Parts: sequence; structure tokens; C-alpha cells
Amino acid sequence: MTFRQRHLALPVAAAIIAGCIAPLAVLVAFSFYEVEDFDLVPAFSFRAWGELATSTTDWFLIGKAVLSGVATTLFTALLGYPVALALTRLAASAKGIAIIVLLTPLYTGEIVRIYAWRIVLGGEGLINTVLLGLGLIDEPLKFLLFSPFTIGLVLTYNNLPFMVLAIWVSAEMVDRRLIEAARDLGARPVDAFFRVIFPLTTPGLAAGSLTVFALSAGEMLTPNLLGGTSGATAMALIDNLFGTAFDWPLASALALALLATLFLVASAMAGLLLRLKGARAMIGRT
Amino acid sequence: MQRFILNRRQMLGGLAAGAGLSLLGPMSRASAAVSEIVWATWDSNGHPEYVAAFEKATGTKVKLSFLSSEDAQFAALKTGSASDWDIVNPSLNQARRYIKAGELMPLDLTKVPNLAHMYDVFKATDKVKGEDGQTYAIPYLWGLNPIVYRSDIHTEEPTYSTLFDPKFKGQLAMRDYALESIAIAALYIGIPRDRAFLLTSDELVEVKKALIAQKPLLRTYWQTIGDLTNLFATGEVTAAFSWRVPYDALKDKMKVAMAKPKAGIMGWCDCFGIPASLPEEKIETAYKFADYLLGADYASTIAEIGNYATTSSIIRDTLSTEKQEAIFIDDLSVMQNFMWPEAPENYSEWLKVWNEVKAA
Repeated sequence: MTFRQRHLALPVAAAIIAGCIAPLAVLVAFSFYEVEDFDLVPAFSFRAWGELATSTTDWFLIGKAVLSGVATTLFTALLGYPVALALTRLAASAKGIAIIVLLTPLYTGEIVRIYAWRIVLGGEGLINTVLLGLGLIDEPLKFLLFSPFTIGLVLTYNNLPFMVLAIWVSAEMVDRRLIEAARDLGARPVDAFFRVIFPLTTPGLAAGSLTVFALSAGEMLTPNLLGGTSGATAMALIDNLFGTAFDWPLASALALALLATLFLVASAMAGLLLRLKGARAMIGRT
Repeated sequence: MQRFILNRRQMLGGLAAGAGLSLLGPMSRASAAVSEIVWATWDSNGHPEYVAAFEKATGTKVKLSFLSSEDAQFAALKTGSASDWDIVNPSLNQARRYIKAGELMPLDLTKVPNLAHMYDVFKATDKVKGEDGQTYAIPYLWGLNPIVYRSDIHTEEPTYSTLFDPKFKGQLAMRDYALESIAIAALYIGIPRDRAFLLTSDELVEVKKALIAQKPLLRTYWQTIGDLTNLFATGEVTAAFSWRVPYDALKDKMKVAMAKPKAGIMGWCDCFGIPASLPEEKIETAYKFADYLLGADYASTIAEIGNYATTSSIIRDTLSTEKQEAIFIDDLSVMQNFMWPEAPENYSEWLKVWNEVKAA
């Protein structure tokens, strides 16, 4: 990359850094403040950090955010690979249509999607009505809605396009001749996938994974409105602490702890994925 | 040690936009004409037709700024992001929070003649008074938060115990709100009504146990009243601690009813308040608006369209019995069973318990 090309990225980079660093600095400062009669009092108090360190609820919810992010990443990756690879086989005109179809769910707002899921998964919803009508069940399947299953299902559905797009871009760059060579040399399709396609598409998988992890670990609305009594999240708790409790120091400390934990997990994921042979080869090209 | 406390303007100046904005704020205020006042309120309290008579009588336009939550209103006042609000809408149960934080102006009640018609229970409340004995907010609109239930499924009128009854597992809902949900659990385990918002740490432990035991019985915690209405409409929930909205929305479509538990009826009440920083030239208009909220025009239109009662008895006797019943003023003894949710001194402990229940 020439100096001039880099120079072009500077304003955006500066805006991103300012937009990220400034709020973080404010959060760090607030986490040491005290609250007196609904006033934030500048201080150097470890009250919030002490409370956070000893709160099993807070750490449970941070752990839940990590688990939710990792599980959604895993599910979207497993489901996304076949879709992304199938996309590469389509004719150019069909590809455009397929991508638009893939992204269609994202054009509707999140709230619309959430209420649509309620109509589909509810006790008197589409799936239960069909299953009852076919005589396959006697009672509506209550676990379909307002359960951890619902959260997993909807987060996977919502994030699948991001994973598919990232893997697809990588898969398009794979030289077909390498796959043909592998097959000519006797590799079965599954071997060709694991020894050629998968390593070469790892950068796409890494990009998709990091995006999906970030989006799903921080998701609040879906668990809140579709998760039933299991829908508590660290993000909702932070919202509650900033709002109802007016405990900005604890909210800031919790937000920073969540951010740091997610950052560490995302870094570990990126490290693992990019350590794969194919990924190194792809990155080495640039 | 001398400590520096961030107030609204300092927060605005220091965090939001620097010293420039602190200077611009008052300047823009000074140039504003009294041709318009901005009323921050709930959308249900401030339909344009509710304020039309005021606009006609005074020539002052009422610009409505709808609130998303009480907490957002408080935070906006606190951080200075609500600098265009001329009249605000603290709830009775949170009024003290605004007063303590210095966000409201002390009121001269002689400028609100319609106070004479206010029901005694609202006149007597000290929740709108500061430690200096002055009044900082005026209750103007109230209602009850009943248990809404499907009368075809619940043949007996539900009580708070119904919300903890395994017989109705998977059909119940509670609001995702510490204050009311914990108080209901307190009533359920036998704590008297007058102490339901004054729980000790030991009592909170017992309440927490009851709420955790209740969790598997609940279909969900409802977030917004639209959310709960949807849950009733789709058959997910048959009884819930509620607001009256699902009843009004669904009464013509399904068999729904409202229960007013004798253990104590959770009431809500909205208040009129003037931000402490309101410029001098707008104060008279703000008082006129307070008087309007307690007057006949506002009371008639909101009773007719919104099914809500104001705190004033000014039109009660002119309403039909059906309408009086619909807005809970047919039998005024209901006011003796009111429980006003009140943020307790140890509210942070309550919130902690509630978050632990939800994460359990």
C-alpha cells in the first residue's frame, strides 16, 4: 500500500478512534466516580469495581454473553458454509438475486422480525397449529417460544447473512484449479473441502465469525422479547444500571468488563482462525 | 474535603459539547417566545386534542415531546439534553428523585386555582414536597394497574396469589420492573400493604425466594404494554399484572376483565413539574397549563378518548355511571386501597434482587 493510499484512510481512522476512545475514556472516568443523591460526584472510588468483582450475577451475565456469541458463531458457520459454497456455483445473474434474497430478512426492522417469530413459534402460532392439525402433537410445543432455544434460533437466523457473505467472498477467491487438482490426485470431495477449500476460506470465516460474535454477544432486544424468563442479558443490566438505578459508576465498570471480556474472546477466536495454514497463505498475499 | 458535584449544565458543558454549548443554551432560551411551550409527557397523556382548548384560550401552542421512559426523562433532565422542555412529567412515585436532584422548581400553588377541586388523597400526598416543605410537583392524572385476565379461563377473579399458582403454569406474566414485581411478591408472602415498599434486607431475601419460585410459572416478563397486549391477543398469557391498556384493546375481541386485588391496588399517578431552569418569561404560561390540566376541558377529553381520570373532581358528577366506572371513579372508596409504588431508600438493593431473580 502506498503512502497516498494510507493517507486516504486517515480521516475515517481518526473518526473511528475518536468515536471509540472518547466514550471509553468517559466510561473509565465514570467507573471511579461516586453517586450521591442522583448526582455524579467525581472521585477516585473503587466501590463500583469492588461490587462488580464480587457480583456473581454480573459475571454470570458476562459469561452468558460470551456463550451466546460463541454458540451463534458456531451455528452460523456450520449452516453458512454450505450456503456460501452453493452461491459460488451459481451463474452471475442468479448470484445477485440470491444475495438479495439472503439479505431480505435484514430489510425488515428487528421489532418486526421479533413479532413475526412470535406468530410463527407461539402456542397458537403457525408451527404449533400445523403440527396439531397433522395430529403429530397433542399439546402445543411451549419450548418453541420464550426459551433459550428461541434465543439460539433467532440469533442464528439474524446473523446468518453476515457469515454467509463473508465466507462467500473468500470462497469466490479460491482458484478452482486447486480443487480440480486435488480431485485429480484422488482426494474425495470431503478431503478436498477440508484440505483445500476450508483453509483457503479461513479469512472469510474469521471475518464472519468476528462480526457474528460481536453482534450476537451484545444483543439485547431478541433475548428480552423472545427469551421469556431466560432472556436476562448483561446489556439489559447495563441499561438498567444507567437508567433505573442511576448507578453510572457500576454501569460503566460492567460495560468495560463486558467489553474487555468480549475483546479477549474475539482476539482468541481471531488468533485461532488466522493461525490456520490457509489463512496465513491468504494474508501473506497482501 | 471540598467536592465538586456535576450539575446539569456542567455535565452539558463538560461532556457534551464543551463550554460553547453552555453559553448558547441560555441565549437560545432568552430569545424564545411564549407563543409555544414544550410539554414532555407520555403519548397517552398528551394527544393534540387534549390540549386544543388550552391553545385556543391562551394562544400558546403546546408542543408535545413524548417520553420513552421515566428513567430517560430523568436522565435527560440530569444531563441537560432536555433543555427545550418547559413542562415535565415526573410520576408520583419518582417525584422525590427529581426534587432531591434539584431538577424541579418550587411551585406557587396560589397560581393554580383548580387545585381546590382535587381529590383529598392527592392533595394530602407529601411525595411531591421537598425537605424544605415546598411543593415541587402537582399530581394531575391517575389510574390503577389491575390484574388483567381472561375471564373464560379464570372463572374466579384472580388475586396476587394467582400469579404464583402452579395451576396456571406457563400462562402468567409479570412486568420486568423491580418496584412493582417485588412489592407484589411481598404482598403474596404476607407483608402488609403499608410496608410493601419498605422491605428490610431479610424480607428482600424472602421475596427473592418467592420470585425465583415463580419464574418457571411465568411465560415471560413483559417489557412494554404493547408487548403484553400482544401476549394476551396471541393466547400466550391468560393473567398478568398489567396496565388497563390490554383490557381496552381486547375487550371487544375476547373475554378479558380487570381484577383489583383487595390486598392492595397498585396505582399510578403522573405529575406536572416545571424544570428548575425554566426562564422567567415562560413561568406564568406554565402555571396556566398546570391549572388547565386540573380543569374541566382536559378532564372531559381525556376521560372520553383515553379512559383516564384526572386528580380533579371537577367533572365527575357530569359523567355517566358507565364512564365513571370505566375510569374507576364510580366508587371513590377505591382510593382507600391505593398503593403508590414508591422508590424505597434501599432501591439499589431492590434492583440487585430483581437482577438476581432474572439471572437465576
